[in-house]
Amino acid sequence: MAEKVANDLHRVTAILVVHDGALWLPEVVASIASQSRSVNQIIAIDTGSIDASPKLLSGAKIPTLSAPRDLGFGDAVQLGVEKLPASVSGAHEWLWILHDDCAPTPTALEKLLEAVADRPQVVMAGPKLLGWHDGTHLLEVGVSIAGNGARWTGLEKNEYDQGQRDGVSDVLSVSTAGALIRRDVFEELGGFDPELALFRDDVDFGWRARVAGHAVIVVSDAVAFHAQASATERRSIDVDGAFLHRPLLLDRRNAAYVLLANSSWWLLPWLSIQLLGSAIGRALVYLVAKLPGYASDELLAVVTILIRPGAILNARKTRKKTRMISPRVVASYIPPRWSQLRLAVSNIAESVRERLLPTSAEPIPTSIDLNEDEDLLVPISTAKWSSLLKKPQLVATLAILFFTIVWSRNRFGSLVGGALPATPESAMDLWRSYLESWHQVGMGSTTASPTWVALVAALSTILFGKSALFISLFFLIAPLLMVITSFHLFSQFTKNQWLATTCALLYAISPVSIASINSGRLGTIVVIILLPLLLMSLRKWESIDEYSWRHIWATSLIAGVIFAFSLSFFLASILFVAYSMYQDYKQDKKFNTLSKKRLALLIAPFLSNAPYSFEALLHPMRFLSEPGIALSGGGPNLSIIGNPGGAGAIPWWIVSPIILILLISLFSSSKARKVSEVGFVILLAGTLLSSLSISVHGNSSSVKIWVGTFIACATLASGICAVIILDKLRDVLRSTHVHHRHYLAALLLVVTAIYATGAIFWTVGNGADSTVRSDKTTVIPAFLEIENSTKTLVIREVKANGENELQFAISRGGELYLGDPDVSPNTNPDIDTAVRELIDGSGLSTSELLSHYGIKYIFVKNPAREEIIRAIDGLGGFTRTSATSAGIIWKVSGATGRLIYTDSNGKRQNLDSGEIGVRTSLPGPGTLTLTENYSRSWKVLKDGQYLERNKNENDLPTFTALSSGEFSLIHDGTIRRGWLSLQLIFLVTVIVLALPAGRRKSQISEKELA
Amino acid sequence: MKFRRPVIVIGLLVAVLVSSNYLDNSVFSSGYTKNYPVVVCPPTLPGLASQVSVSGKKTKYRYVASKKTTMSPTGFARLPIAKDAILIDAVGITPTIWQSRSGSWAGGTLCSGPISSQWFVGGTADITSKGRLLIVNSGLSEAIIDVEVWSESGAQVVKVLTVPARSYSVQGLDSLAPGERKLVVHVSARAGRVNAFVVDEQGKGLRALGGDMVNSVTDPAKLQVIPAIPNQNSKKNKSKKSEYVLRVLAPGELDARISAEILSADGRFIPVGLNQRSIQKGIVTEFTITPNLSASAFALRITSDEPIVSSIFSRVVVSGRSDFVWSTPATPLQEMSIAVTGLTPLFVFAGDNIDVTIDTRLSNGKHKSARVKATDIAAWRVPNSARVVTIVRTSKNVTGGALVSSLNGYGYIPLIPGSVLTKAAIPLSNIRVLNP
Repeated sequence: MAEKVANDLHRVTAILVVHDGALWLPEVVASIASQSRSVNQIIAIDTGSIDASPKLLSGAKIPTLSAPRDLGFGDAVQLGVEKLPASVSGAHEWLWILHDDCAPTPTALEKLLEAVADRPQVVMAGPKLLGWHDGTHLLEVGVSIAGNGARWTGLEKNEYDQGQRDGVSDVLSVSTAGALIRRDVFEELGGFDPELALFRDDVDFGWRARVAGHAVIVVSDAVAFHAQASATERRSIDVDGAFLHRPLLLDRRNAAYVLLANSSWWLLPWLSIQLLGSAIGRALVYLVAKLPGYASDELLAVVTILIRPGAILNARKTRKKTRMISPRVVASYIPPRWSQLRLAVSNIAESVRERLLPTSAEPIPTSIDLNEDEDLLVPISTAKWSSLLKKPQLVATLAILFFTIVWSRNRFGSLVGGALPATPESAMDLWRSYLESWHQVGMGSTTASPTWVALVAALSTILFGKSALFISLFFLIAPLLMVITSFHLFSQFTKNQWLATTCALLYAISPVSIASINSGRLGTIVVIILLPLLLMSLRKWESIDEYSWRHIWATSLIAGVIFAFSLSFFLASILFVAYSMYQDYKQDKKFNTLSKKRLALLIAPFLSNAPYSFEALLHPMRFLSEPGIALSGGGPNLSIIGNPGGAGAIPWWIVSPIILILLISLFSSSKARKVSEVGFVILLAGTLLSSLSISVHGNSSSVKIWVGTFIACATLASGICAVIILDKLRDVLRSTHVHHRHYLAALLLVVTAIYATGAIFWTVGNGADSTVRSDKTTVIPAFLEIENSTKTLVIREVKANGENELQFAISRGGELYLGDPDVSPNTNPDIDTAVRELIDGSGLSTSELLSHYGIKYIFVKNPAREEIIRAIDGLGGFTRTSATSAGIIWKVSGATGRLIYTDSNGKRQNLDSGEIGVRTSLPGPGTLTLTENYSRSWKVLKDGQYLERNKNENDLPTFTALSSGEFSLIHDGTIRRGWLSLQLIFLVTVIVLALPAGRRKSQISEKELA
Repeated sequence: MKFRRPVIVIGLLVAVLVSSNYLDNSVFSSGYTKNYPVVVCPPTLPGLASQVSVSGKKTKYRYVASKKTTMSPTGFARLPIAKDAILIDAVGITPTIWQSRSGSWAGGTLCSGPISSQWFVGGTADITSKGRLLIVNSGLSEAIIDVEVWSESGAQVVKVLTVPARSYSVQGLDSLAPGERKLVVHVSARAGRVNAFVVDEQGKGLRALGGDMVNSVTDPAKLQVIPAIPNQNSKKNKSKKSEYVLRVLAPGELDARISAEILSADGRFIPVGLNQRSIQKGIVTEFTITPNLSASAFALRITSDEPIVSSIFSRVVVSGRSDFVWSTPATPLQEMSIAVTGLTPLFVFAGDNIDVTIDTRLSNGKHKSARVKATDIAAWRVPNSARVVTIVRTSKNVTGGALVSSLNGYGYIPLIPGSVLTKAAIPLSNIRVLNP
């Protein structure tokens, strides 16, 4: 009763601001009318509504003031206040600010008044705001502002109201929607800031009230439902001064204004930086979400406020007049940075979880009628272990793991051999190799590192940058990954999980898989693993227009990874896309639409792999090469049976059923026919190519083309055909008389069984003794590795194309690492001749020539032919330095090294040269010869000027110096950096396009908003 | 058509298999390099004169000591050498060098590619000796050479010589085994591009006893054929028999039992005392033979149960002056070319069944062909204006030597190639060699 009396002392004027709010207004008016504690008077201000709002107001008999459409919210309230009669002496006059999209519950006003009755210091009280559409969605229980301008409610995203925030709390401010403000203080503080036409006026007013010595509270017993129509872009923003009439822009601009106008002066520089930084950050996020409008809003908001310091200064001056206490009083209401961070992390984690483990909207169906009594009586039943064996995926996983472990028994450790060079221990070395413009391989190279080097480096971060461990693990789990990806693909063609699993297992032990792993073909292994994913992503290839562009870009990322590891896949893709486009054209399908998407799938991955892919256009043979060392394939007769051959391949007599399945499927009436046509053509193309020899990666020796990628495609096509044909075949065979299908099925099963048995036994037996192994031996003797970048001519007899061939290469002291063969330079004809003359003993000046190229040692690796050793011994110019079981080493006569100084008398002197660049001193005027391949990026900087660069008779870069002194040798990587930037732009663009797009608030449904 | 599809599929399969197999066979061809190593001619010692016969004016050469790596054309078909050793890019036509001391002696030898092992059977280290061992290092690094000497007293201490790059070393034969009369020298190169030559010059006081260049053999062998031994006495006094000295060494671990057989126009016979003669291992042994022959040249075939080295010493008279010739064994004749500009040698072929086709390029560019057919021995005089003589074809197991007479003296040159065509697989660059 005492409360009622107290309430009676309050005089409440409801001020309802209306702007195109016809949608919510009926409910709002009803809620005002049904208040348990009625308002003493009500006034509505209609800011030029063009909907039915004025009619509704007049229908409700609410006195209405009409105002211009561009009048701000604060001005509208001020207009209403001005029209009110003067304050009644002795009464506590309150203004109840109401939005046209905010409906308070019937007790809202009563509860607010109850709360302020006992708290005379409170000048502003607000209700708990809940969602308009979902009354359990907690919108606000008080509001504040973060240091970066974000509106801070302290709530989680879509927080469910369970009363967890209930009570009366001191807050910095409350939303103007449903806020109860003491009239005298409102007038004393000058109302809402007219600079804040919309948004953040509430925080600003609360802040000003606080520093004027008053209190602001939120009363959770008072509840209002708020549609947030302006913030969620449900209506246009027409207020004056709203630049471009964009709500986000206005909100961010006003946030910055509030912070800069109210904070202590010494915080202003830091706040400015913080505002700008966070605006840029958010702009980037919006760009990634493909919302450039929002991104520009963020930046424009900060810019528009920072270029108008006068407005801030005026605002600060005005606030100074009403400030009674230190601005520090608001510090406790400003959220600390860590809580913002915690909330951001929590939101990200939640969104990731939601994406990975989406919450089912549907109730979980159950046929069990719960009977608690019965539950207690039924004994707990546990599943039998044997039931696990009925799960095909588990059986396949265990089988392939067991098989791989036995097969890989010689591959536990850092792998090297076959086509796979050694892997550097740290991913940083791979990154350096990828980023640097000059590679110390052979006579040096400016060839761009292939993108797969960066991919391996990036993936190595999973293992804390241990790239060698990553490669070892990758080879170990590659068969399992092949099973997993192909199983998912095959499952799309059959519901028979056992069939899909069996085919996936056969895919993992197919000839191409075994040969690729045994011979270290990193590229082909990646193709075999990713190809099923690519096909899954493009299952509707014929009607590709049904896929969204985002899907196309995402798929092009998978294709990009495959292209990075296998340019020959790009070649096959060109043929396939060209054929498809021809078919589209012939069938007069939506040629343009289809072609755009087909070409995007070719071009985007190609651009993502620039500049290596661009360079491949200049060296087309790279399209037929694979990453790593060029090793010979097995030729056409093996390729046609789906066996790529070469080192580590299963023998010819273990014939896989690939060709048989493809041939059978060619005559099938099912959709296997189309798949087999593609597979068959690819297999034939591979067979043709396998008969050719190419010289790649700077080698002069040619090798038969390895067509692993083509055979992988054919193998997968064969697997799909098998799944389609064999699916439900048993039923068909059962229901028909014995005819050709029965015989073919029997033949297929027998061939497959024989192959599987043979392949497994061979792989775990002879196959385990492959060229790729965890071998710590190195070709170059350790002492030659001590001298940095020392060139050693290594001569060795190796098996190539089935014959023992004498081959050579220039070593730079260390091991050959991942990526090095791919950037290996072309051979130098002079060195080729010198080595030839060295071998046949006719080279009188071989040692002199080799010394000109900076080759310091010759190493003939054992076993070596006696006549070669005799020829080198007898040729002169070479001094034996060691002869061990590893081989024989000769030192080349004369002063030689990487950087040679020649004075005017022709006397040569070796200078310190470092790894690539160096800073050292020049003894006098003369010529500097860098014994590296010529590149325009080689520069010598002396006394602030670049020395003149020339090419000598050996095509080596030389620099003429006119005086002694310090100089810097550099390889200018500007061009490389430019290319890498371009690649990054391509890549980021494709990633952004592939990412799910953000939605404007106006595009979000009411339901979701709720 | 019912079978259209199977026909297309099978046709495609067969076409691809056939064409790819055809391509597969056509893309591979083993690469080989064929090369004649550059040959080295010995330096000219003070007081001597040398002329090198080359195939033509365009033949390239340079001095061993030169720092230039390029070669220049000789400009002459017979190149006088003042002092230093020279390198000749002979391209398979073996140059010959003819050295002489005016009015005293003359001798010839082949300019040859680097040889890691050379046996010289000839020369003396006694008081009459003025002989020299010349070691040329034509390489660009220091050469290390072992010089082993055997004499009538047995093996001498091995001498290790170091010859700087692009230079030569001269060792007096008397310094190798002082006081010894019968020398056999083995020069083996441990490292370096080495060629060795021996000039055997003898004199007693101021009286010159003649001289010759001792040709080398590569390895000891159980069968040795010395194809050309001059026989001058036949013309003047048929009753007076010439004396020849056969010098033999069995350098191995066992004594050798040798037999010698003379092949001559007068027939084939074993000289007295040279049937199954035992020679002690490591001791240089000499046998004097005095065959009574009418032909101007004969050959000697020596068989042994152990590897041996040998040569035969003959005294000759040229222009009334005494000279001598060391005839050394030759390996079986093979297709080869030899430059003979300025020389008109007598080619002597020895063998059971001689059938040799010879082509001669004359100084006017014309060619002359000849076919020599005989048994045991045959002689063929090279035409006067010959530049290059090519052995186009030869029957098996025929050996050949050339006897050259000039104003200053008489010499012998074995018909063996100075540089052998080296066929080696072309090494290819491949970074793969750096991977284990």
